[in-house]
Amino acid sequence: MFDLVIRNARVVDGTGAPAFLGEVAVKAGRIAAVGPKVAGPARAELDAGGKAVAPGFIDPHTHFDVQLLWDGAARPCLEHGVTSIIPGNCSLSMAPLRAGDRKAVIGMFQQIEELPPEAFTIAFDWTWEDWEGYRRALEKGLAINVAPLVGHSVIRLWVMGPDANQRAARPDEIAAMQDVLRQCLAAGAIGLSTSFVDVDETARPVPSRFAQFAELDGLCAVLGEFGRMLQIVPEFYDADITIARIDQLAELSLKHGIPTTFSPVFDNRQTPQSVDRILDRAEEQFARGARVWPQMQTRPIDISFSLLRPSLFFARLPSWVRVLRLPVEERIAALKDPETRARLLRDAGEDGGERIMGRLVARAGEAPTDLAGKTLKEIADARGQGCALALIEVSLEHGLDVAFLAANGGHDNSDRIGPLLARPHVHVGAGDGGAHLASFSTYGDTGYLFSEFVRGTGALSLEQAVAKITGETADIWGLKDRGRLAPGQAADIVVFDPDRIGRGEERPVFDMPGEGMRYTRDSVGVEAVLVNGELAWTPAGYTQAKAGRICEMA
Amino acid sequence: MTLTVQRRFVTPEPDETLEALAARALPDLPLEAAMDRIRGWNLHIFAMRKPRGLLLGGDVVFVEPPRS
Repeated sequence: MFDLVIRNARVVDGTGAPAFLGEVAVKAGRIAAVGPKVAGPARAELDAGGKAVAPGFIDPHTHFDVQLLWDGAARPCLEHGVTSIIPGNCSLSMAPLRAGDRKAVIGMFQQIEELPPEAFTIAFDWTWEDWEGYRRALEKGLAINVAPLVGHSVIRLWVMGPDANQRAARPDEIAAMQDVLRQCLAAGAIGLSTSFVDVDETARPVPSRFAQFAELDGLCAVLGEFGRMLQIVPEFYDADITIARIDQLAELSLKHGIPTTFSPVFDNRQTPQSVDRILDRAEEQFARGARVWPQMQTRPIDISFSLLRPSLFFARLPSWVRVLRLPVEERIAALKDPETRARLLRDAGEDGGERIMGRLVARAGEAPTDLAGKTLKEIADARGQGCALALIEVSLEHGLDVAFLAANGGHDNSDRIGPLLARPHVHVGAGDGGAHLASFSTYGDTGYLFSEFVRGTGALSLEQAVAKITGETADIWGLKDRGRLAPGQAADIVVFDPDRIGRGEERPVFDMPGEGMRYTRDSVGVEAVLVNGELAWTPAGYTQAKAGRICEMA
Repeated sequence: MTLTVQRRFVTPEPDETLEALAARALPDLPLEAAMDRIRGWNLHIFAMRKPRGLLLGGDVVFVEPPRS
């Protein structure tokens, strides 16, 4: 007897094959049968009403490393149909990490991922140092499947201590890092992540950036023993450097027999040829036999912020970052201080900040009603001020609680992006779930794939889009028994309405530890999510199921 | 398959200075001229980074100008 049969389903099986009307049977957490008609009784039935029934979506670029310790569903990821996530990207993970190095890693997570400090102090019991301990802590309450990467920066910290962000490693230290990586992979890490762009909370490059190529080569030799993935963040703002990174990844892929991936890749209206050059180079390397997967996100770049907290928006304005990192009372004093204010205005540009800030829009519901919907340029002109000064003074007048949106900062030409996403070697991902919490909502990128590029521009068919974020993703990463609706596969299943699936409006919520704020989006058009055969979410809410697992590798 | 030609680069040796890197990468040029060219071709290191010019082990350092 089956545990569950989903009937009247438009089966989209994750392979890219044409959808068909049929049934899907589940038993003991696995797909037991798929076909036009499944024979045999079942303890429970679900009528899909002709809606799409697909493998659970897989998100390959997340930073839920910390959140998973108090929220095993990685909310709201799961309700968007995502049943497996890959955290530990960008050289950062929560293990291996000695107690004495926690402060350094917290600083990096706060800078890069915008997690509130309380996320590290009140939300979980930090009991582990090694990967095995972290894995055990994670496994206590997972509702979603997790395939974690281990971060190069933390491996460096483990081996080199405070020298990790000071110098190149000696041969004995590289050998020690290889041993640590080997232990992590044996204990369930699915690969290694590194970064060539990130900085810590003091704006110093993260430890991984101090590694010579020989160090990365040595670590990739260990990845080769396991056939595991290397993920990198290249200098994505420059096509020439990104292409150089692609060539380095290809060398490592061919030498060690490993898959590699880099993220993000953005389309850019100012230099539209860049993304084509990057993707063409990756395809050249694929033709040589290398595996170098470009990861591209679906959503446009939108950043929201207020002066209540640090934001990615100010990443290129260090003087602003320094002020926004102060405690609120000190921050308000600094924004009023003539000397500090002069420095902020100077750094905002000779045009008074118009180029950088003029097109910001005061967010409805998060700004006074007389300002909501207006651009900062309009607000500044009405006050007879420059944009940067208006931003400071308007914020001070309202206790800093005025939010602005920098909309469509790039990657926003759907007619171009659709065909890019459809290219065979483009890996749809790079969403950054669990990161940049106070700057934008990463949730709903999967729904946006369907609403914008299947129903909208038509660049992908329903089957292609599903395959991109299920079967193809599982294959790229080597996830065992995930990503397809086929007998023997894990019963990770999403039921959704292809005519409705999308993403809700971005809205602020205060559900992080210490009532920390983040932007989120509700799911739209998702009707049920099963993880390893257990019903994990319906529009009525989350169930009590804790069926998530650490993913096994093929 | 033959790869299309892309912009040439080197990566820094351990503790390598700009002077040493420029001499290694552009041996036919006078040292000052070589250093100037390296600086000019690598704004991501010598203009955008803070502190400017901090050479990191993982850096891509271009040894020729952009090709287009």
